[in-house]
Amino acid sequence: MRIDIEDLHVAYAGRTVVAGARLVAAEGEITGLVGPNGSGKSTLLRTVYRHLKPTAGRVLLAGTELREMTPLQSARHVAALPQERGSDFELTVREVVAMGRTPYKRAFAGEDAADRDVVAQALTDVGMAEAAGRRFTALSGGERQRVLLARAFAQDPDVLVLDEPTNHLDIRHQVDLLVLLRAQRRTTLVSLHDLNAAASVCDRLHVLHEGAVVASGPPRDVLTPALMAEVFGVRAAVVDHPLTGDPLIAFDHRAAADEAPTAVPLETPTRG
Amino acid sequence: MAFTLVRRNAAAAKERGSLPAGPVAAVLAVALLAALTAAVACGSTSIPPGEVWSVVWRRLSGEAPRPGTDDLIVWQLRVPRALLAALVGAGLGVVGTAVQALVRNPLADPYLLGVSNGASLGAVVSIVLGLGAGGALGLGLSGAAFAGALATFALVWAVARRGGGFAPLRLVLAGVAIGQFLSGFTSYLVLQAGDEQQTHSVLFWLMGSLSGATWELLALPAVAVPAALLWLQARARGLNALLMGDETAAGLGIDVTRLRRELFTVTSVLTGVLVAVSGAIAFVALMVPHVCRLVVGGGHRRLLPVSALFGALLLVVVDIVCRTAMDTQELPVGVVTSLLGAPALLYLLDRRLGSGS
Repeated sequence: MRIDIEDLHVAYAGRTVVAGARLVAAEGEITGLVGPNGSGKSTLLRTVYRHLKPTAGRVLLAGTELREMTPLQSARHVAALPQERGSDFELTVREVVAMGRTPYKRAFAGEDAADRDVVAQALTDVGMAEAAGRRFTALSGGERQRVLLARAFAQDPDVLVLDEPTNHLDIRHQVDLLVLLRAQRRTTLVSLHDLNAAASVCDRLHVLHEGAVVASGPPRDVLTPALMAEVFGVRAAVVDHPLTGDPLIAFDHRAAADEAPTAVPLETPTRG
Repeated sequence: MAFTLVRRNAAAAKERGSLPAGPVAAVLAVALLAALTAAVACGSTSIPPGEVWSVVWRRLSGEAPRPGTDDLIVWQLRVPRALLAALVGAGLGVVGTAVQALVRNPLADPYLLGVSNGASLGAVVSIVLGLGAGGALGLGLSGAAFAGALATFALVWAVARRGGGFAPLRLVLAGVAIGQFLSGFTSYLVLQAGDEQQTHSVLFWLMGSLSGATWELLALPAVAVPAALLWLQARARGLNALLMGDETAAGLGIDVTRLRRELFTVTSVLTGVLVAVSGAIAFVALMVPHVCRLVVGGGHRRLLPVSALFGALLLVVVDIVCRTAMDTQELPVGVVTSLLGAPALLYLLDRRLGSGS
């Protein structure tokens, strides 16, 4: 299922955070959202999983406007992985994953065999089947994130929406999670801080700046030194990744875009 | 293959440290029945359990009660009181569970929402100004307390809804602030109360007491507690989702703002009912869900009925202690729950800090 976001405006805590964003997340592709802090990535995603309502504009799921569906109806198609970590209520890993079945269950209904199979499969998919009986809050950050991803899988969605899924994970867990995402054949809309991760994992990128999409396209077309300077305010070169051939953004951590001398040629090191 | 599966399930259950809810509920139900029998049997005049049930049976089957004091003591005094203890205990267990999910804090207490302070003020106004039935513990007092609870609920609602969504922190801050404000009034009224008898009944009520139990008083909680339990049970999945966070719940198809608004309403009304019939009994609503979570886990489908049963059992037993501990007078039930609850809370806090969460 594809997602179309058309001229979206969202106000959050009295401030317009998303102002006229438009983008498409194509069926079966991984679509990345990148942009500086406060550019509206999370807010935009929150409207897709219906935590926030648009003040103007539309979000379409396979051509149908979200607001024409009940929350339960859209939750059968769209699963979210927000940046929440849960609190300590003695829930087991299994119980957390089983929450993914919520949109399919009537009041008072218990779990049936089909639910149990879906939950077991989701746990297996993220490699956490052995941890089913453990307390959720006793897990490490990487394990928790995988369990929350399994909860999203258990929702059996057509579209996955993930808000900074690699935050607070060490590099190995980041790689594991991105590999898991790539293995899915679902439409995926994901915000990422790490531009190099975005360049490797996403089919298309949308760059958000001050609430609007300022660039869209395949990572190599979008992530240019000029865009790094203009949107992120940093100096960077874009080279080919020696192992994968993906675009690799090499940042200048010594000076911001507006502080550095402009005439330094990228090819010749200035230091001997 | 099957063997490994069984072993793995057993290992998982052991690791989780929680027990299956069905047997736990069955054990609690049997214990509750025994405790209710004991509550009617024990007292200044002890009555054999067989006689207790024979009186109850005669009344229930519509036979003419045997003349004598046993019937009076059992049917008019002790049965209503034991049932009130069970209903209030069950209600406190349920409302505690719900409020902890509502404000997403496993150590929250329904009295945080200010409603109980409003009920207390209503009750104290009724006692001190003599608006109730001669200041005695009765329906007039309960009515005043319930009115106070509802008025406070409306006030907290008006403050908490601003900014939208009844966010947990906002709800608690509004409840605590308004609750403190009202309890200031209550204290002032208690100080102003001229005669000793009034002060005594006010204090007794504020501490939480089941001594006003009558059949008439049972009607409201007998409807409100099962209704609230059923209502919450239907939303057990929504409550689970709230534990993870509002965004997660929204992503699971829950209308979070509406659920919070309804939860706040249901928990406030139930708290109001409970406080109106028994005063603000401390710690039960905080402790019961917490202990039950350790036994059957955090999922609300199992937690809500188990909390109801355990709350009922606990309060029936505590009330037996209150009535029989001292020869000359009975203790307010809230005194004993505080004495038991505070150390238990400290133990649990310590345990949580120790587990690093």
